Order: sequence, then structure tokens, then C-alpha cells
Amino acid sequence: MELLKNPLIMAGVTIAVVLGGILGACSYLIWLERKLSAWMQDRLGPNRVGPMGLLQPIADGGKFLLKEDVIPDHVNKFLYLMAPCLSLITTMLAFAVVPFGPVSHAPGDFPFVIAPGIDLGIVFVFAVGSLAVYAIILGGWASNNKYSALGSLRASAQVVSYEIPLGMSVVGIALLNHTMSVEKILMYQAEQGFAGWNVWYQPVAALIFFTAALAESNRLPFDLTECEQELVGGFHTEYSAMKFAMFFLGEYTHVITISFLTSVLFFGGWHFPVIAEVGSPWFLKVGVLLLKVLLIIVLIQMLRWTIPRFRFDQLMGLAWKVLIPMATLNVVIVMCVLEFELPRFWLLPLSAGLFATVGLISTQGSLPQRSLTAAPTAAHGHGH
Amino acid sequence: MNPLPEQWRMIVPAALGALAVWMLLPRDGKRRWVLGSLCGLVALVGVLSTVRPVIDDWAMDGLFYLFGGGAVLSGVMMITDRNPIYAALWFALVTLSTCGLFLLNAAPFLSAATIVVYAGAIVVTFVFVIMLAQQAGAATYDRRAFQPMLATCAGFLLLGAILYTIDASGRGGEDARPQFLPRVQIAEVTPNPLSQPRILNEETGETDLGSLSSIGRSLFGDYLFAVELAGTVLLIATIGAIALAPRRAQGHL
Repeated sequence: MELLKNPLIMAGVTIAVVLGGILGACSYLIWLERKLSAWMQDRLGPNRVGPMGLLQPIADGGKFLLKEDVIPDHVNKFLYLMAPCLSLITTMLAFAVVPFGPVSHAPGDFPFVIAPGIDLGIVFVFAVGSLAVYAIILGGWASNNKYSALGSLRASAQVVSYEIPLGMSVVGIALLNHTMSVEKILMYQAEQGFAGWNVWYQPVAALIFFTAALAESNRLPFDLTECEQELVGGFHTEYSAMKFAMFFLGEYTHVITISFLTSVLFFGGWHFPVIAEVGSPWFLKVGVLLLKVLLIIVLIQMLRWTIPRFRFDQLMGLAWKVLIPMATLNVVIVMCVLEFELPRFWLLPLSAGLFATVGLISTQGSLPQRSLTAAPTAAHGHGH
Repeated sequence: MNPLPEQWRMIVPAALGALAVWMLLPRDGKRRWVLGSLCGLVALVGVLSTVRPVIDDWAMDGLFYLFGGGAVLSGVMMITDRNPIYAALWFALVTLSTCGLFLLNAAPFLSAATIVVYAGAIVVTFVFVIMLAQQAGAATYDRRAFQPMLATCAGFLLLGAILYTIDASGRGGEDARPQFLPRVQIAEVTPNPLSQPRILNEETGETDLGSLSSIGRSLFGDYLFAVELAGTVLLIATIGAIALAPRRAQGHL
């Protein structure tokens, strides 16, 4: 026990716990996703290995390890092998500042976050997350395959565009809570109680954050980098066995991280009225937080079979014409409320008004565009 | 002022470094890369004898050498690599190493912002362009450096000047004064209370220096004019980009 007071050893223990937890969670979340997909499409899903297919993730893992490790000819071998590693490293690194329980700074206590007391917090997550695009770009380029290259070209445009609304959506939170540190934002909400959850004051920001983060993780409906119908497998067409598994693991870790961030930044983290208040024991807090995260992950998985994939111009239009102006206006609203010292509950109707206005503008704005494309002159614009 | 030969501690490593880079720059035919890298190593060791970190903490020192050496080596690799994709990736490594140095100097926000802007967006755009432009392999004129002699001389003259200035200001005294500014007695300026670091803990003397809130106060206290000016310049650039972008008949991408 005395050994655990050494911060280095404690950090090692925390990293081991997080790594084991994430790897285990990933494999069973994939099982859950397959079961959910089957349920939504009226199929059975995995049901051969073990009861209800519960041993399927272990069988999958064994297959990934034992399968022949193909490296195609004419690939840039160094970059080809580096890309899946980068994918895993960057997404795992982003988890370092995400609290997964009641954060404690006392030596000897389990800290419930790998790097406690990082003042940057959410900015660090964005910085590391912005590096994740290298994995996709390099993987697609090094594969020496046109489909892969197309997938990675799409990825670079998509990820760079969605970083902007993602970063701007949390500015309002930072202004309201006077910090960017994830653990401090969590504590601030927990101390205010149920009415202090950020989602009551920043519903539009929560929506923007969730959408942009989903786009950053390349999940459906934003999976233009790997859409099977157009690009075979996109950037990972040429990857097999464990190398593909690492890409997949990186993507799923990203999903877990954004679910944690959404619940911590907007839904009060481990706080829930009556069940987990500030003085509650740690296992209740961890349980509540994990349940919230699981709910968000299930929501992401259900979205996969609910919303069809975007067209590329719709994707760019959503980021640049809708999310970024909306996030900017949201920040302006927060600044006005803080500057004129209005009561905070004004933020809810103001956000709802913003959302309604944006919806109204989008229905009005799309009409003339449609008539333009239908015009006969448009047919000559292509030149082939 | 010291005569030039007395500055050999600066001049010799800078000249060796210039020689190394000149030999390593891509050109037609074979490069003398063994001799070049030897020169570069000697130059690095030579520089180390004059400028090195003053702190005496092995972890900090190790990190400094890792990031500093990484930045210099990646920088050299970036300009000497023949493959443009690798050059872009070395550039990303230069940025990351520099961000590590920022972190060591208690500027975490600067380092995160640099990663987001440079490594995460600008270098990605470079890679994007290179992937689109170089599908059939690089042309011959891309495989050799343009004016290697001039470029090396100009670069290392600048580097030598910077090293000399740093060395002079490190020694203090008469040399450390700004050379080209009129030497008038600057009036005692009262520090802006907004931008002073706030004391968080009276007992330990802990301040919020380097934290986000102190950066915010500094940006909108001391540097308000510069921030507003930069914002205006960016706005003008945005308007210009929109004005320059071609309009298509369909109004679509």
C-alpha cells in the first residue's frame, strides 16, 4: 500500500486498469452492436459461440491474432504499418484526461483519471484527437490503392472541418464553468445538483458537440471514409488481421471517449439526484457514470441504423453552414448572458430560440437551391 | 564588442552545420551523407557546449534533449528528404517536438493550440495536396534542391546571428542591451494588474501562471490590441477567400 503512494506507480496502475477496461469494453460493445443491429433489422445476430453468442468477441479476437498477416506488394511498408499503431495511440492518449469516476488528488487514492489536475483538459483531448487523422491519411496513402486514397482524402477534409464546431461548442461550457479542466467541470455540475447540469444551459452546444464528435470518430452517418458501397472498405481496404483490428479498436476507443466526454461535460458526469450525490460512495458514482456512458454508446449504435449516410457536399455544408455559425451564435448568447448578468435559466429559452431560428432558416434556404439545380443551364456546367 | 575570431564557439558549429545541411540537401547524383551526418553531429555537440539547459533535473534535462534534438534532427530531415510525403511528416514531428519544448516551459495552452493548428490542420492540408499532386511520383526538378548553396548560407547566417544574440543576452551586462534602439532611460511602468499572475495558495506561493485563465487575462489585458488586429486580419483574409473562390452555376460544391 505504501508503494501505491508513489505517483508513478499509481499512474501505472490506473493506465493498466483503463487499458484493460477499454479493451474488454470494446470487444463486448462490438457484440452489443451486432446484437442491436440484428434486433433493429429483425435478424438473430451472433448466436453460435457460447450462450447468446457471448463468447463471440473472444472468438473474433482469436481469429484476428491467428489470421494470416497479409502485407500487399507495392505498399509503403513503414507508413503502412505505422498507420494502425497511430490510430490506437492517439485515441488511447486522448483518454488520459477523461475522468471515469470521482477524481481524487490525494496520494495513495485511486485517482480515477490517468493524468489528474491537467488544467488544459478538453483542449488536450482536441489536440491529441486532431492527430488521429494521420492514421487514416497515412493508412490510405500507403496502401497504394485508389479506394483507400479516396477514403483518406475524404477523411482529411472531414476531420479538419469538424474540429472547428467541436472546439467552439465547448467554449460556452468553459465560460459558464470558468475552466477547461474536465474534472473541474464535472465537480462544478455535481455541486450545483440536478439543475446544474450543463445540458440545461447549453442544449444546442451539447447537440453540436455530439454531432461533431461523431463526425470526428468516422462513425455512421459520417463514415464517408470507409463507406462500403462506394469505396470497398475505404482507408482500411488493404488491411487484414491484427492491423485491421487496431484500426477498429482505435475507432471504438474514440466512441467510448466521446461518450465519456458527452456525459461528463453536459450530463453531470457521475452526478444523479438521490442516487449519486457529492457525498456518495465511489462505486455508486462510477456505476452512474458508466451507465450514462453506456446509454450514449447505445444511442450512437442505434443512430447507425436510423440515419442514412450523408452525401459529401451535405457533410461539408452541415459543418460550415450550420454547425459553425450555430456554435458562434451560441457563444455570443452565453457571453451576453454573462456580461449583462442575466439569470442563467435564460440560456435555455435563448438556446431553444436559436435552434428554432436555425431550423427555420434551413427550410427557407434550401428552396431556391433546389430550383437552381433543376434549371436546364446546370447540365452544361460539368463539361463532360 | 568582441572581434569575430573570439566567437569561434558559435561560428565553428554554425559553419559545420551549414556544411552538413549543404552536403545532405537532395541533388542529382550521390550525396555524401556519411560525411554530412558526421559534420552535423559535431556541430550539435559543439553547440551543446555553449547553450545547454541550466536546470539540474535529469528528467527535465532528458526531455529537453529529446524534444530539442528531435526538433533539430526532424528539421534537417524535413529539408533533406526527397519524398515530399516524408518531408511533410518530418514537419509534423518538428511541430510536435517544439510543442514538447513549450510544455517544458510551462506553456501548455500554446503547445496544445500549436498541435491543433499546425500538426492537426496545416500539415494535414499539405499531405492532402501532396497526395493529390504527386500521384505519378515526383518530377526530376522536385528531387533536387533549388539553389542549395545560397539557401544554406542565408539560413545559417541567420541562425548564427540568433545564436550570437542569445549568447550575448545570456552573458548579461553591456552586451545584453538592445543594440539598435536608442538608449534612453525607460520610465518605470506600473504593471497591468489584470495580467499579473494571481496567487492561488498563500502557503505554497502557488500562482496560476501558465494556466488558461492567466493566458486569457494576458491576451485581453496586455495584448488586446495585437489580438484585435490579428482577428481583423483573419477576417479580411476570410472575406478575400470567399471573394476569390469561383462561383459555380449550380451553387453547389
